[in-house]
Amino acid sequence: MDTVKQVQKKITQRALWLSIIVGLVFIVMGYKSVGKGLILGTLFSVLNFIFMARSIGYKFGRSKRQIFSISIGSIIFRYILLAIPLIAAVKFEQFNLVAAIVGVFMIQMVILAEHLLIQIPILRGKQI
Amino acid sequence: MGFEVETIIKIAAFSGGGIAMGLGAIGAAVGQGYTAARANLAVSRNPKISGDIFKSMLVGQAIAESASIFALVITILLLFVIPPSPGLLDAAAYLGAGLCMGFGAIGSGIGAGNPGGEACFGLSRQPEAGSQLTTNMLIGSAVCQTPAIFAMVVALMLIFIKFGGAALTPTWAALIGAGLSTGLAAIGSGYGGGLAAGASCEGIARTPQSVTSVTTLMLIGQAVAQTPSIFGLLISFILMFKTFPESSLLMTPMALLGAGLCMGLGGIGPGIGNGMAAEGAVRWVARNVEHSSDLMRIMLVGQAVSQSTAIYAMVVSLVLIFVV
Repeated sequence: MDTVKQVQKKITQRALWLSIIVGLVFIVMGYKSVGKGLILGTLFSVLNFIFMARSIGYKFGRSKRQIFSISIGSIIFRYILLAIPLIAAVKFEQFNLVAAIVGVFMIQMVILAEHLLIQIPILRGKQI
Repeated sequence: MGFEVETIIKIAAFSGGGIAMGLGAIGAAVGQGYTAARANLAVSRNPKISGDIFKSMLVGQAIAESASIFALVITILLLFVIPPSPGLLDAAAYLGAGLCMGFGAIGSGIGAGNPGGEACFGLSRQPEAGSQLTTNMLIGSAVCQTPAIFAMVVALMLIFIKFGGAALTPTWAALIGAGLSTGLAAIGSGYGGGLAAGASCEGIARTPQSVTSVTTLMLIGQAVAQTPSIFGLLISFILMFKTFPESSLLMTPMALLGAGLCMGLGGIGPGIGNGMAAEGAVRWVARNVEHSSDLMRIMLVGQAVSQSTAIYAMVVSLVLIFVV
């Protein structure tokens, strides 16, 4: 399970750093709501991913019924978690809705970017 | 019993939101479950690399979840973002948006689980090909999401475009039909794309040296498998943007609703069929790289034939829109 924790840590750190840097750039440029929305969405995307990863280990050594309940509970909880930044962005003007939506997908974007960018020959060369 | 316009709008928006999230959750959950099931099999086969398998499972499941997050976004918009002074046509648009996103997320969710599962299983057979498998899995899963993205685009257009100037009848049916066309057609393409992506992971695990041929064929196969969902998108755009004259006849709205249903339902089979053709070609190219051009030719001919029923559905939809 250490590998899972390492992967989770690496992906979540990159997603958070990316959103903080991009968010700060927007805030400095005067688009405060965009920056805040992006960071808010990413924060909950990261929480969702951490919860998803943790729930894998939590299911070991339990009865079938317990695993079923944990799985259903985990899915419902994670969807509620992802709905929070979107509802906040709809309700409060200081968070941009589109930026919050982009933030909610930050984990997926980081996973894809990480694996697809190393296909670029220059970057692959650097990694070696 | 009469309702105020605002009440009708809310009923449509809330129903649309419920449909979007309810249906949208089906695909991702099935896809994630499939990935986990294959990961179990992989760990049983090669317990020494269980950590790597869990890692692939986690990443694969995170990508497979995207389709249901699209549905969640549309649901939140439908529940909380109702523009000021909406008209009765907006009610139809909201219901159409919910149907579009709900159905549209099913195929992509299930399909994206396939490469995840096969990558986990492939890892147990060929641990040293882990990097290639993960990259291929991610590319395949990402392409699987395209039909769900089409559905989200149409749903967003239905929510945010103002159709206020159009005639209530038959435009209400055109808007619901637009949602059904893209949403239903996306089911087959999403699932079909997943079949090709799953077979490519299996192929790479079998013969890691064939990765270039396998990935190329997978991408071509997936691109062709997306065609029925593009037809669905086309019919949706026509239904959304064509101006229909006011009509008191029931026949006209039913023809437009029928056009959306025809293209949507008619696109499901060809999408899956195209995916099956691609799956076969991709699976076998890994075992027989030197005959990749023959396999690609057979795949493309098979897909073209399988596509014909989607073309029939599109022609009938166009007749229903422009002639009837």
